[in-house]
Amino acid sequence: MEPTRDDQLIADLQALRPTPRPQFTAELDARAAAGFPRRSWLPQTLPSLPPLRLLIPAGGAAAILLAIVFALSTGGGSDSNAPEQQGSSSGLLSQVEKVPDHAVPEPSASAGEASAAGEASGAAAEVESSVPAAPERTLASKAPAAVPFHHRDVERSAEITLAADPKDVDDDAARVFEAVHANNGIVMRSSTQEGRPGEAGATFDLLIPSAKLDDAMAAFSDIDAVRSRHEATADITAPTVASAELLKESRARIDSLLAQLEAAETEEEQEAIEAELRHERRHAGRLATQLSHLHKRADYSRVSLRIETGGKESSDGGGAWGIDDALDDAGHVLTVAAAVTLIALAVLAPIALIALLAWLGHRAWVRRERRRVLS
Amino acid sequence: MEQTLVAEAKDAPREADLAFDRLYRSSRDDVYAYVAGLLRDATAAEEVTAAAFERAYRKRNRFDPRRGEPRAWLFGIARNAALDELRRRGRQAELAAEPADPRTLAADEGAEHSERRLAVSVALERLQPGERELIALKFFAGLENREIARVLGTSESNAGTKLHRAMTKLREACDGTD
Repeated sequence: MEPTRDDQLIADLQALRPTPRPQFTAELDARAAAGFPRRSWLPQTLPSLPPLRLLIPAGGAAAILLAIVFALSTGGGSDSNAPEQQGSSSGLLSQVEKVPDHAVPEPSASAGEASAAGEASGAAAEVESSVPAAPERTLASKAPAAVPFHHRDVERSAEITLAADPKDVDDDAARVFEAVHANNGIVMRSSTQEGRPGEAGATFDLLIPSAKLDDAMAAFSDIDAVRSRHEATADITAPTVASAELLKESRARIDSLLAQLEAAETEEEQEAIEAELRHERRHAGRLATQLSHLHKRADYSRVSLRIETGGKESSDGGGAWGIDDALDDAGHVLTVAAAVTLIALAVLAPIALIALLAWLGHRAWVRRERRRVLS
Repeated sequence: MEQTLVAEAKDAPREADLAFDRLYRSSRDDVYAYVAGLLRDATAAEEVTAAAFERAYRKRNRFDPRRGEPRAWLFGIARNAALDELRRRGRQAELAAEPADPRTLAADEGAEHSERRLAVSVALERLQPGERELIALKFFAGLENREIARVLGTSESNAGTKLHRAMTKLREACDGTD
């Protein structure tokens, strides 16, 4: 049987089929047996690049880490403002908080303000003996060297809010009194209100010896669940030293006037000295009062304590950590995790979109170029 | 046509390696023939063939049998590698009609065979590059129409139609050279 023309053509084509060199096939077989070791265009000394499937998760993890750092840094900044806002609401102190003992902030009251104080007290002598004298020029200049470093007069204040059930308000109030008395404090004002959740509650304005403020705050925190807590400090060393210095000078002036009075020879001269003496004694009295006031501000801390009812922080556990707290904490953790994830997605999504578009564009370009090669 | 199977990605790596080894041994010369026919450069064909097998080996665990046969998958990789080589060299694809010089054919085949095959080789060069690639896939690499369709990304009937047209043109070109 004669082969058809197509059969002949096919046979000719198959005869034209290129065949590889035996040396090439042997080398390729060897490479196949070795698992096709990579023939990188990079120098062999360079480490091989990780595959894309490792780079993508690594990049994602890095982005999430950056987002967490960003979220934490942003969150810390906003939190730092909160105590200041609370501190300003107390109206007790300046905005300076947690002043270290060696720091010298600007005085909250100047020496001149001391003249506006009320009547004198006997505390001036005590302060004079405890506070070293400082040069007047340094007081006026408010320089760091103006105040000795070994003693600081620091005024402290605190606010604490407890969450309680309405039925526990009375008991909690009684425990507040006990804690105040145990720490030698003074209840300046107290108010207790009974009623439904949200209405019932109590408020206290307290004076606590500054040396026992930490113990008192710890005792208050143990009474019930703490809804909020805020403490502030203000350095009042400068006005205290200034007042003491002025008082010292005033008393020296009084002594001088008394000596002049003894030496006066005429009645007119005596009357003039006595008038000046009365004026100087009033001035010394005001300074002593101011100094006593400053001293009390340093010795006693004002504490504003509130017991509130209603709200999710109120718990039956009386401050003990329970299921509700665990659920609250879990919710908080999930919220933070969701926020971090959202930030990470906000960072990753545009990058991923750009990368996807670039990849699709490159792929389309490659395909078009491959088609062009055969066209 | 010898059939090989590549193990699914979920199978053990050992099985995937064995399956790839079978695919390599059954397709090595076919891939070279196709690439050499496309590039018309034996040295470049060797490089591209090796690169194609290397790429396929790296991707062997990502092969999805549901998307086609292993040979079609392998020839798709080889085709992309060959076209990339042509792009890199910045020249148009010239499907070789004479990777094997007909004048070097076995002497015992006779002068008539040599002349006829030389005519076929010249006729191949007159075809469009895409048509020559079809013939290379079919008669150099030995792919079936459904495999050619998978490699070219078209339907089997369309691949068959194009192949028939290419063969018709080749036959007419051979007649023209006689």
